[in-house]
Amino acid sequence: MLKPVKMVKISVAGPKEYLATVSDILHKVNAVHIEDPTEEEYFKLGEPLEKASTISKSLVLLRSYLSHLKIDPEKVIPTRKYKASEVEKEIQNKLEQFQSEIGTRIEKLRELNERVKALEEELRIIEPLKVLGIPPKLLKGYKNLRCFVGFLKENPSERIREITSDFVIELKEFKNEYVGVVFVKKEFEEDVFRVLQEFGFKELPVPDVEDFEARIKDIEKEKATIEVEKKSLEAELEEIKKKELEFMLAMEEYLSIELDKSELPLKALTSKYAFVIVGYVPAKKFRKVKNEIESVTDGKVTVEKIEDKDDNPPTLLSNPKIVKDFETLTTTFAVPKYHEIDPTLFVSIFFPIFFGMMLGDVGYGLVVTLLSLYLKKLFRSEGMQKLLNIGVYVGIASIIFGLIYGECFGPFVHVAEHEGVTEVSWMPHFLTGVLTSIGLTAEKLHHMIAFDRIEAPNITLLLFITIVLGLAKIMFGFSLGFYNVYKEHGLKEAILEKGTWLFGMMAIACGIFGFVTNLVNEVPPLTTVNTFFMIGPVFLAIWLVLFLKAEIPKMGGIGVVLGIELLTWFGQTISYARLLAVGLSSVYIAYVINFMGIKMLPEKLGFIGVVIGVIVLIIGHIVNTLLGIMDPGIQSLRLHYVEFFTKFVEGGGKLFKPFGRIKRFIEE
Amino acid sequence: MAEALISDEAFIKGCAAIGAGLAVGLAGIGAGAGESGIGAAAVGAISEDRGFLGLGLLFTVIPETIVIFGLVIAFILMFAY
Repeated sequence: MLKPVKMVKISVAGPKEYLATVSDILHKVNAVHIEDPTEEEYFKLGEPLEKASTISKSLVLLRSYLSHLKIDPEKVIPTRKYKASEVEKEIQNKLEQFQSEIGTRIEKLRELNERVKALEEELRIIEPLKVLGIPPKLLKGYKNLRCFVGFLKENPSERIREITSDFVIELKEFKNEYVGVVFVKKEFEEDVFRVLQEFGFKELPVPDVEDFEARIKDIEKEKATIEVEKKSLEAELEEIKKKELEFMLAMEEYLSIELDKSELPLKALTSKYAFVIVGYVPAKKFRKVKNEIESVTDGKVTVEKIEDKDDNPPTLLSNPKIVKDFETLTTTFAVPKYHEIDPTLFVSIFFPIFFGMMLGDVGYGLVVTLLSLYLKKLFRSEGMQKLLNIGVYVGIASIIFGLIYGECFGPFVHVAEHEGVTEVSWMPHFLTGVLTSIGLTAEKLHHMIAFDRIEAPNITLLLFITIVLGLAKIMFGFSLGFYNVYKEHGLKEAILEKGTWLFGMMAIACGIFGFVTNLVNEVPPLTTVNTFFMIGPVFLAIWLVLFLKAEIPKMGGIGVVLGIELLTWFGQTISYARLLAVGLSSVYIAYVINFMGIKMLPEKLGFIGVVIGVIVLIIGHIVNTLLGIMDPGIQSLRLHYVEFFTKFVEGGGKLFKPFGRIKRFIEE
Repeated sequence: MAEALISDEAFIKGCAAIGAGLAVGLAGIGAGAGESGIGAAAVGAISEDRGFLGLGLLFTVIPETIVIFGLVIAFILMFAY
């Protein structure tokens, strides 16, 4: 759980004619991560198998149909699985069938769409001409006259008159512009055209029609028939989609698998007669892969372990179910290297706890949980499912902490009578009355709450708790880092690189505890000497010696300056106070919303106040819920990435991607 | 010297409250200034690649630690003194 799966480096080598068989087997076992090879003098990258080009052609065709029918394989939940042999037998027939059933219909649809576009283009020309109100035959076909038909921004009569007084103009308003026609003698054509251009003239070509009105009607009629035709074509396609959906997806999967297989040679090195594939396989599956390949090929192809000193195996994280959901959070930061500790387990423990500590509210927690459960039904992709599972866990954590803090949409017990406390709750008075009648007075309820975080002494206590949590977690991080370095470089390096900081952190811890002890005893906190302040310098001295030993050989004199990094760790410890701060801000927002909605507005404005109050409550709590999901989520993640992971995760590993795929629509 | 208008204790409490306010407020301004640059860059990166959203959000909140420091000082001033 804490370490990635153990890998074995293997080589698969044999005569070239067995490459296709090996490809089949490797794809079926879906357990070998194949390394991209580098070419050498005698070994070159292989060529894809012959069938690759036909397969990819079919696949492109099929995928174009799928995309036209708007089918997303991710979103389809298969009801049955097809046998691979069945798909193989049918595939050619089906492809031809699809070509005639779907392909022709798509082609027809495309033609119709083009026709509609052409008709609309024509309409755009004819409509303004109709507004102009001059029959088409009068707009063209003159010998000695030039007739300008088109759009104009303003009336150009004045300017044309400067050229000639012998002209006719007709203008009509059309959509913020004018549509007009100007008749002039041929000899003035060029001058008038120049003038018209100044008025933003855009010429309209006059189409060969008898009557604009009639033509528009024809066009509308044709468009309507085309629409009907399109509708029926689309309905037919929908019908086909319903009938063939699963088989199409099975075919897509089958072809993708075949393509994968036929492209395996691209990841193999081949000579004239032989091939070799190098990859990694989980140690547990090595025997199985070896036996399978060697038995099927009669020992012609051999699978051997390779002992390689500086190998760099891929990382396959392996965690139990709930922890697995948190792997996304780890890999978003970095993929751990093969030799490193996989921090997902710690994330799965601390992330919900931190989130709960911050949000800590039964009401908001329930909303988060239910919302995640609801969204899980809508978003089916694997990534979303994992993310929403995390949503459920953090929601539950929030509910638990909500019970500890005694909060449900803000502080919920009405204890106005409580000494000096003016909490406002949404719990109605009659309910409080009922609770009182069964012996649960406000006083008792208030004290039943294990830990009320918005009261003064508890705030400081929680502050202390969060900082101690920070100290512990950072030191834990360094310990894990110590282990990582120890595994890779040995004890001495581990002590110098990570052990130093453990002593440094001890010194910081002594400082903080000393300060707090003095505060509790009510003596000047920084100047009074106590046990912690006496032990602290010892740790500090050890840290300094180790630190200088580690840094000076590497950095020279300047290394001393790096000691300032100890202050960074101090800062990161204090940074855990956000567990208190973010939570408090959310409680106080809820508190203010409740105060306004339940107390202030109804008391000041009467009935209208109640109405506005309800609106304030609803909007306020929605906003606060959203903030309550965002902020604790990001802050909790940040506490892991920045304050925790930096101590031991180096990252830079590559994820294990086996050759093969998980079959969803077909089976062997 | 004129007689003091308020007691020493009240004066200290008042100063502590002002100090707490300054600590949170100024730290907030600082963090805001820091986040503005990161936020702009993060939005740019996200518009290039949606997958950067998570990391982008994370980078953006990194300077928020400064406010936490301010807040811790404020708490110590308000409740410990």
